[in-house]
Amino acid sequence: MSDFPTAALDDLIACVGAERVLTDPESLQVYGRDWTRFHDPAPAAVVLPGSVEEVQAVVKAALAHQLALVPSGGRTGLSAGAVACAGEVVVALDRLNALSDFNPVDRTVRCGAGVVTASLQQFAEDRGLFYPVDFASSGSSQIGGNISTNAGGIKVIRHGMTRDWVAGLKLVTGTGELLDLNRGLIKNNAGYDLRQLVIGAEGTLGIVVEATMQLSRAPRDLAVMVLGVTDMGAVMSVLQAFQGSLDLEAFEFFSELALQKVVEHQDLQRPFETATPYYALLEFEQHSEAEMEQAMSLFEHCVEQGWVLDGVVSQSVAQAQSLWRLREDISETISRWTPYKNDIATTISRVPEFLAEVEAVVTEAYPDFEIVWFGHIGDGNVHLNVLKPDALPMDEFKARCGEVSRWVFEIVQRHGGSVSAEHGVGLLKKDYLHYSRSPLEIEIMRQIKRVFDPSGIMNPGKIFDA
Amino acid sequence: MKVLVAVKRVVDYNVKVRAKGDGSDVDLNNVKMAINPFCEIAVEEAVRLKEAGVASEVIAVSIGEKPCQEQIRTALALGADRGIHVETEGKVEPLVVAKLLKGVVDKEEPQLVILGKQSIDGDNNQTGQMLGALANMAQGTFASEVKVDGDKVNVTREVDGGLQTVSLKLPAIVTTDLRLNEPRYASLPNIMKAKKKQLDVFSPADLGVEVTSHIEQVKVEPPAERQAGIKVADVAELVDKLKNEAKVI
Repeated sequence: MSDFPTAALDDLIACVGAERVLTDPESLQVYGRDWTRFHDPAPAAVVLPGSVEEVQAVVKAALAHQLALVPSGGRTGLSAGAVACAGEVVVALDRLNALSDFNPVDRTVRCGAGVVTASLQQFAEDRGLFYPVDFASSGSSQIGGNISTNAGGIKVIRHGMTRDWVAGLKLVTGTGELLDLNRGLIKNNAGYDLRQLVIGAEGTLGIVVEATMQLSRAPRDLAVMVLGVTDMGAVMSVLQAFQGSLDLEAFEFFSELALQKVVEHQDLQRPFETATPYYALLEFEQHSEAEMEQAMSLFEHCVEQGWVLDGVVSQSVAQAQSLWRLREDISETISRWTPYKNDIATTISRVPEFLAEVEAVVTEAYPDFEIVWFGHIGDGNVHLNVLKPDALPMDEFKARCGEVSRWVFEIVQRHGGSVSAEHGVGLLKKDYLHYSRSPLEIEIMRQIKRVFDPSGIMNPGKIFDA
Repeated sequence: MKVLVAVKRVVDYNVKVRAKGDGSDVDLNNVKMAINPFCEIAVEEAVRLKEAGVASEVIAVSIGEKPCQEQIRTALALGADRGIHVETEGKVEPLVVAKLLKGVVDKEEPQLVILGKQSIDGDNNQTGQMLGALANMAQGTFASEVKVDGDKVNVTREVDGGLQTVSLKLPAIVTTDLRLNEPRYASLPNIMKAKKKQLDVFSPADLGVEVTSHIEQVKVEPPAERQAGIKVADVAELVDKLKNEAKVI
């Protein structure tokens, strides 16, 4: 802050007004970090632009003074992609929160980058429609951040990632120019689809300021089942059995330890008395009684095969919501142990073998640590969370986790998987990017960044070093 | 001890209820239905009495059209032993429901009848009390705790400003309040077992009851929409608006 030039501050104030430039220590703390706790936030200032033009003006001011910019949404990220720890200026898009131009024929709506995910979901619901990308932090996360991280979540198995719901977007590039990409078209093979490059770019190509989001028909009468499963291989067998004859809206899993923590800390009821090593949560639409009958006979089959020991099914919307909380409240529950999060994925067919190897390495490496497993197993994506013992200093904990991460990522690499399935790379996974991407791929990414952001002011140091 | 528990099929309480276009009734087309939450608590209490060895048999009864057998099956999955469906057509008033339940009580002679304090659709809060009068049984309404003690049942009631405990001589009627217990989930193995449990269907005539109607529903309309609020610049403007526009000060 001390070496932040007054002239730069004056120029930022000229862009957005004095009240929208924050430099007090509390604001710098709040806006300087996401949900990760491995870096100390140290931005120089926070600006809150109220329009696309103001964002452009801020970028131009940043160019003139060679200031690095960190775009900021709901700051619920888990890879330190929105962390400002090196004197950057945080561009918080909270004020670009308008929902407008709803088009019932196209089933699209225009969203400012700062629209909270849950507001978009509610907007759709009020019109008898549905925005299907959903995850535990949807009450805080924003559409701009969802797009920049290509957020996934709990409905990917049926509805895909954020990428599949962006009909168009506007980007302020590293030169302060505005790109209007795809404009809501379903079919548009006129050249490169630059929109897709921007989605998941974590703000390194520019700042997403607006998007046209696609909506879908609302699902009818969702039933939620929680099954107690004997081992990880059985989880995959259950998935295959159900997927073969039902269109699953979700297929999640979590371990007994995850369930214990959630039940204890969120005051929830266990789904059933039987304790099993793993639990599968699945959701499906009931168009008629046929789906439930099918699900019941699949359950019987899974019991006969010895994969499943017990299970419940929701009898009301309230029960469906309570069962979902067993899975959705895990992240929040374990956050008190500053977990070291791994967000790894491979193809679904390789999951059993892959997980067996990871589990062997992890149990050997962390005999004294608590490991919480959960994730979107139906997408081949698991979250491996290592809880920090209270007595262990953070630096030592980080070092030990980092060490084991390398072994885990070697397994990921061997299985052609991803070191970051849906959380992005940010600062946290940067050193491990090469386990998932070839040197040539990373070099091409760098070159693309230079085209969008020749001065390197857009979220520098995230994903890779320029 | 035999326990009779009544269950009602109602609109799921998480569903946003809409009035029909002509205002004649609530629109139930394609709406998710579920067991009335207070009835679910009643079933849970009955099943707990059975698990504690106090009750020997739990019978779930529902009155309504054919689909309410789904809710009876739910009660059976939660642990009731057998079901009774009294099949009626259209809406039935609390008094008729109470008379039909009285018919079932005469048939089964339970020592304890547990009902929800009210259903979330009609919000009448009448059936339990009417049944008490018709069957000449003691009643403990709005129960937050139920303890059977020999030939008595002690019921802690949630009353305005506190709790009241009454001791009822069996046979008795208990209606449940929200804090009595937290109902369990229906397990899949139990749902399958429930399919094989006995479910008898009776008509009102079988129970010697004539279904009559004393109430006509005139109109159903949604509550008036709240107007959007406004922001005021300062305290002076707020006071001015309260005084001159809202005229509350």
